Amino acid sequence: MEAALLDKLRAIVGPANVLTGVDLSPYVVEGRTPEAAVFPGSVEEARSVVEVAGAAGMPIVPWGGGTAASVGTPARRAGLVVGLARLARLIEHEPGDLTVTVEAGMTVAALQSALRARGQWLSLDPADPERATIGGVIAANASGPRRHLYGTARDLLIGVTVVTGEGAIVRGGGKVVKNVAGYDVPKLFAGSYGTLGILVEVTLKLRPAPDAERLVSVGFDRLKDAGAAARAVTASDLIPNALDLLDAEAGRALGLAAAPALVVGFDGLLEQVEWQCAELTRLTAPLGGHRIETLSPDTWSRLVTAARSAFDAPAALMKLAVLPAAVAETMEQGANAARQRGLGTAWSGHAGIGVLYAALASPPESPEPGPIATVLGEWRALARAGGGHAVLEAAPLAVKAHVPVWDDPGAAERIMQRIKAQLDPLNILNPGRFVAGI
Amino acid sequence: MATLTDSRKRELRRELETVVSPGAVLSDPDELLVYESDGLTLFRALADFVVFPTSAEQVAAIVKLANRESLPFVARGAGTGLSGGCLPAEGGIVISLMRMNRILEIDYDNLLAVVEPGLVNLHLSWAVGPRGYYYAPDPSSQQACTIGGNIANNSGGPHTLKYGVTVNHILGLEVVMPDGEIVWLGGKTRESQGYDLTGVFVGSEGTFGIATKAIVRILRKPQAVKTVLAVFERIEQASGAVSAIIARGLVPAAVEMIDHLTIQAVEDAFGCGYPRDAAAALLVELDGLTVGMEAQAERISEACRDNGAREVRTARDEAERQLLWKGRKSAFGAYGRISPAYMVMDGVIPRTKLPYVLGRVNEIVATHGLRVGNVFHAGDGNLHPNILYDPRTPGEEARVVAAGAEIMKLCAAVGGSISGEHGIGLEKTDFMPFIFSATDLTFMQRLKSAFNPTGRCNPGKVFPTRKSCGEAGPVAYRPHPIEEKGLAQRF
Repeated sequence: MEAALLDKLRAIVGPANVLTGVDLSPYVVEGRTPEAAVFPGSVEEARSVVEVAGAAGMPIVPWGGGTAASVGTPARRAGLVVGLARLARLIEHEPGDLTVTVEAGMTVAALQSALRARGQWLSLDPADPERATIGGVIAANASGPRRHLYGTARDLLIGVTVVTGEGAIVRGGGKVVKNVAGYDVPKLFAGSYGTLGILVEVTLKLRPAPDAERLVSVGFDRLKDAGAAARAVTASDLIPNALDLLDAEAGRALGLAAAPALVVGFDGLLEQVEWQCAELTRLTAPLGGHRIETLSPDTWSRLVTAARSAFDAPAALMKLAVLPAAVAETMEQGANAARQRGLGTAWSGHAGIGVLYAALASPPESPEPGPIATVLGEWRALARAGGGHAVLEAAPLAVKAHVPVWDDPGAAERIMQRIKAQLDPLNILNPGRFVAGI
Repeated sequence: MATLTDSRKRELRRELETVVSPGAVLSDPDELLVYESDGLTLFRALADFVVFPTSAEQVAAIVKLANRESLPFVARGAGTGLSGGCLPAEGGIVISLMRMNRILEIDYDNLLAVVEPGLVNLHLSWAVGPRGYYYAPDPSSQQACTIGGNIANNSGGPHTLKYGVTVNHILGLEVVMPDGEIVWLGGKTRESQGYDLTGVFVGSEGTFGIATKAIVRILRKPQAVKTVLAVFERIEQASGAVSAIIARGLVPAAVEMIDHLTIQAVEDAFGCGYPRDAAAALLVELDGLTVGMEAQAERISEACRDNGAREVRTARDEAERQLLWKGRKSAFGAYGRISPAYMVMDGVIPRTKLPYVLGRVNEIVATHGLRVGNVFHAGDGNLHPNILYDPRTPGEEARVVAAGAEIMKLCAAVGGSISGEHGIGLEKTDFMPFIFSATDLTFMQRLKSAFNPTGRCNPGKVFPTRKSCGEAGPVAYRPHPIEEKGLAQRF
């Protein structure tokens, strides 16, 4: 990076908050080192940083906890990391309003602990909450098992403050739980991977903390039966807050007594949780359910990564969206496709939502991208055949060269490109990382 | 504003008829009158044509024709909107979707349905009801309003407190874009990739294109429902109880407040069993599992009693529950008993500001020499002050409009919003700066340009305008055009 630009950045945020050289190690993504990393301490500083970088044509990589930093098409130029670590305050929490406004760099764990102290919680449970930031979770649309009942960032986000690529501070939505004034700008930022603006402040809907919560696992001999059990739960009076399906490999990685398994969560009054656990047993037994066990509370946060944790160094991770009723079948077909090429897999997924996480084991010998790419292509075709799509969430660059990270968005591609062109006309925010070349 | 010569108009009518059918185009001024207003009769605007397509392809052909002629166009559902959002503010073509009202597919395994936009909201719940399912968003007009109109306005309703608004229930949309291209946004899967186009389309008030199919979620009906009525001597007590219910860890399906004046009107009209002398009543509905329902109802009752409720009772049976809800849902109609006219306001405030804001609303309206009845979604802070007035009294309507603007300013000042469910439409364009800066509005304008670069798709809406658009500005109260013609009356 040119010295003149560095000087300007240091003048804005203070020299201690600009990293260069070897200090950039934590921000290396897929072997690429950013040109610098800068940590604004206020919204205004963030705005100035973007303005200065934009004027110099320097691409900007918004950075929360870095948990999803490698998701996406590899950037042509590493650019300037704009870290949110210093924008991490809780701005306003009024329990009676069931809303909270926070700076985007606050970690999920820090926010949850502040909310729990006042009897509430944010019903969003992504992996790695100690590192993942609120802004990052929204930008990457990260979620966890409780999305079954409570939805994802789009359902909880009611207001945003963003710094645009042109250095403007824009507010969208508001601070009230119901609001149709103007366009729903917050929706646009959920899952936008930092390509439309840097989230600096967000307002979210909250829920009261439940009296009781329990996570139970029901083992099955066959994945197919577990899938049928998931459908039976969906069609019943039960109101689970999580309904995950794990194949034998993912189940073992999670330490379940029996797998394949259906892992089901319940919350509410204690008597409601207990009644539902009993009802679950009654419902699943005729379908082959056995070895019902109550899981420890720390299992919740490991569920969403169960598939990837089956392997020390998986060759690739793919996230597939399919119809809920097709979850078990997709898992079986996907695993077969890999097996035919001698590759191991592990699968977990949200059976009521139709979102699957698949991990592909590395080939035992020289890691040729060929078979890996073939399997990933077949997985994607499986998802597409059912009207869904697949995102390659992690893979070596050699594999990414063969398999596009993002799926084809079809005719909607043109609208997305026009949105990007309208809202980030300098094309300065995470250029080239997202869907449709955005 | 487009002006067409009579001969050009005749040619265009013939051309539109070849796209749809001869019986599906209106251009006679008498027939067009029906489409001059929506539920907010304060605004009116006359179209050049009203067209009734039956397919996405026909909608696309109409849109392309409009573009060729540089005519504005706007989609219209049942016309129950309350902000003038579906009015042809600059003339042109009204595309009525009322003949596209089929349910194309119901998939119980995947909890979704594919429907056309002209389908009446409640008809979807009727269709899936026998199998034990329903469609959750329940605007008060659900017997008449359409799914397409709900999508345009991101409609809410009493039960959105627990179940969310329309956007939380739409998975995908087939859309005729403002240039006539047919595009799918989202789909049947719960997650789509790229920008959340479905999410941002919902609530765009018809300015991003015309939805021609919607994939919506259906939910399983709850095992049990319980409705609690709490009666208060002072309105502040009722407001306090709302916050207390939330603070005690409960999210009821609905928490509705009905004030003294509204109780009077409702009791005069229907006799629903609300105590006439009460200052306010809360209608709280719980739903979910049978197990624990009693315990939760007891917690609600406690929260109400602790805040001074003089009476708390639970509906004993479905008939009593329906009667209590009838009072809430028919409140607007009941105002007709006590006032020649009323205007419904729609604003949102943080729940905890209810006691202050309700007091101020009453003061503001009194200052203008008017009366107000409040019946609203207290659980999510969505106010509906209904200002009563007599349109025959000169100047009274202007005072209503002025009081309305002050109430909107008040909502904005306490950190709220100028609309919770009725939309901006034509009515509130000039209030947008109360809550958005010029930069915020420019950002939204650019977003609109990504979908609707020519601005021909529903012009004059959402954004503040410097020029007022002829007939589209607020005018003195008149009945709906079809009432004037003696073709219909208000209930």
